[in-house]
Amino acid sequence: MLSRVADSIYWMARYMERAENLARLLLSTQDLLLDAGAEAADESQFWGPILMTTGDEDAYYAAHPVIDGDTAAHFLALSQKNGNSILNCVRSARENARTIRDQLSDELWECINSLRLFLESPEAAEMHKSQTAAFYEKVLLASYQFQGIAASTTPRDESWHFLRLGLCIERADKTSRLIDTCSAISLEMPPSPLARPLRWAALLRSCSAWHAFQAYSSNKLDPVKIIEYLLLDPTFPRSVAWCVEQLNRTLVALCGNGRLDEMKAPVRVSGRLLAHITYLTMKEVLKEGLHEYIDRLQEMLNDVGQTIFETFVLYSDVLTPEQELSTAAPAIIPGAFHTILSSDIQMQQQQQQ
Amino acid sequence: MSSLFDDYQPGSFFDEMFDSPAHAREHYSGITGSIGTLSPAEYAARQRTADAVFLRQGVTFTVYGDTQGTERIFPFDLMPRIIPRKEWERVEAGLIQRITALNLFLNDVYHSQHILNDKTLPAELVLSASHFRPEFMGVKVPHGIYIHICGTDLVRDDKGEYFVLEDNGRCPSGASYMLENRNAMKRTFPGLLQSLPVRPVDAYGSMLRETLAHLAPPGVIDPNIVVLTPGVYNSAYFEHCYLAKQMGVPIVEGRDLLLKNGRVFMRTTAGLQQVHVIYRRIDDDFLDPLVFRKDSLLGVPGIVSAYQQGHVALANSIGTGVADDKAVYALVPKMIKYYLDQDPILPNVPTYLGIEPKECDHILANLDKLVVKAVNESGGYGMLMGPHSTKEEQAEFAKRIAANPRNYIAQPVLQLSRHPVFVDDHFEGRHIDLRPYVLYGDRVRVVPGGLTRVALKKGSLVVNSSQGGGSKDTWVLWDDE
Repeated sequence: MLSRVADSIYWMARYMERAENLARLLLSTQDLLLDAGAEAADESQFWGPILMTTGDEDAYYAAHPVIDGDTAAHFLALSQKNGNSILNCVRSARENARTIRDQLSDELWECINSLRLFLESPEAAEMHKSQTAAFYEKVLLASYQFQGIAASTTPRDESWHFLRLGLCIERADKTSRLIDTCSAISLEMPPSPLARPLRWAALLRSCSAWHAFQAYSSNKLDPVKIIEYLLLDPTFPRSVAWCVEQLNRTLVALCGNGRLDEMKAPVRVSGRLLAHITYLTMKEVLKEGLHEYIDRLQEMLNDVGQTIFETFVLYSDVLTPEQELSTAAPAIIPGAFHTILSSDIQMQQQQQQ
Repeated sequence: MSSLFDDYQPGSFFDEMFDSPAHAREHYSGITGSIGTLSPAEYAARQRTADAVFLRQGVTFTVYGDTQGTERIFPFDLMPRIIPRKEWERVEAGLIQRITALNLFLNDVYHSQHILNDKTLPAELVLSASHFRPEFMGVKVPHGIYIHICGTDLVRDDKGEYFVLEDNGRCPSGASYMLENRNAMKRTFPGLLQSLPVRPVDAYGSMLRETLAHLAPPGVIDPNIVVLTPGVYNSAYFEHCYLAKQMGVPIVEGRDLLLKNGRVFMRTTAGLQQVHVIYRRIDDDFLDPLVFRKDSLLGVPGIVSAYQQGHVALANSIGTGVADDKAVYALVPKMIKYYLDQDPILPNVPTYLGIEPKECDHILANLDKLVVKAVNESGGYGMLMGPHSTKEEQAEFAKRIAANPRNYIAQPVLQLSRHPVFVDDHFEGRHIDLRPYVLYGDRVRVVPGGLTRVALKKGSLVVNSSQGGGSKDTWVLWDDE
């Protein structure tokens, strides 16, 4: 498979997963606000942490002086200006898909293209205003449809593996960020017997883990148990441990296991992370400090991502020493890179007959 | 019984469907009975369904000069254009004759130039074509074939006579719309296609692949074929992807390819993989910054040299644009006579050359009656439609022609044939042309039909998608009914 194609599949999957996670987070926040009663009057304490989780605080404050619920929800869901809004995530996913649509099943392409057409339509804006929950549910449903079509139409070759890599890395990243944000605010907040458990319940919901956790733990809404479940449980498909296990498995399928001295870098790096998280205890996490630990975990996840990029996208350059090339080959830029092509290239692309 | 076509006026043009008001030609009788019985609302509903499918599938082209990068569907009119068998057989024979002569001409021009040396064609005109590539003199190309994929534009005049308008021997586009239009018809009018002996077009992908595989360097049994696209911002990117998918081959950009030991490789997740045949949709000028435009950001440095050495094949070959020059076009009938000793089956549109002083005078004296075209423009640009032009536009063109007569030709305004097109809630006549696709590999293959393009604006004669054109499915029948 072309390195560029692998890169686009990976980013298409990441952006779809990002859009899905955001939709679920917004839906669970909305539920939380309805349950929180009088406390919800101060909207900024609910929306602030969400903007922190998605990393869009600066972008938000650049456009709006204060946080109010409707503005924040719109900013995260449908704003053109927010690069990480659901709308823009789906657009990025779709642009990546468009460059490689010859590699995708027609059904998969149409699913992603239909979602983007919907999000850009006036109906979507109206629906977000008047039936907010239904809007998020529609996005979630489209993402599940995407996963389902991908699973039932993608050959189990490299296409599939790069889809999985994008999905698992993005999901591990988002779950760990959600844990981080939720625990931070829950500890800082004034002790309110009502709001605290609600927040933990919302965390579970934003990871689709409410029912699974109820069945798993008899100790309802114990924060440590919740964190343990979302971080370390090997069976729940949105836990960090599960994602890491899938990452490693996928990389082994891509690279082969091989002898120790032939082991490829992605297998080694992801295997190390898998061993780490498999044998980790909550006691150790809390001793290090949850926030500090999650910072470190994110670094380790980034390492895996970087190694994947270097191995599969820059690989051919490594195989081909510079001096053998007739001229220096242009560097490949990671991640949805055609969207940042220079205007010169765009212009030349358009000039062709 | 009332019919959707009751009020249709064929007008004073050659109408493809009606030979007089309310009387359909024989080969259309199969569909007047079925489509004609629909109510306007029913027909409009089917049209909307087809449009929605195109949009959802992303069967679109990019509109340039629009910062949003807007993608539009190429407007599709459901009413099919039908060509009876006998008529098609003549067209097909004419197309095969023409591409054969063009390939003989290109091989001659890039080698011994007999046709120029014995003054059958004027050397100064041919060699001054801006797409003539002196770099390719004496270069042997696989099997001596230069044009592998040709999209000849045909029009019919007010008597229904077919003429060749352009040859398009560089990178003709539109084949994907031909295929998608048929798919749309299958979904919208399944019964109709079943009941009529319509020749299928869906073999185009495999025909194209066979044509390309034929070019592989000697000894390569299972060649790696790729489609080379300028990239996602090109208006035809959908088509590039579509054709790659139909053929089951990768679509690559210039930056995916590199040269090593004189051979072309693509960067893959498993390292470098050699490429043997490239269906390139990038213009000659941008193909290789070492040979042509140095500022090209789309090309592959060294690819031309790999082609010259026979390590990789390109389709179409480099330098075919010399035959696309609109002044050289005027000489094709002479080429047919010279190389094949035949008369052209499909005539040219009468053409006046700016480079011939007498003809140039005629052009300048008749700017208000003629269509003037710059020899290297396409897509409906660089044109003066005499009868629809203002005095100022005519004066502007007169100046340009006088400054560079070689660069201009003129043709009489053809009253292109018309076809019923659905407008709001009824049918109106609109001018159409036809672009059949001709493939030249181990043998010449012509897809039955092609892309019928429609000038959707009332009275307009310009069918190009960039100028408000649309398209129709084209049905070639097995048997005359």
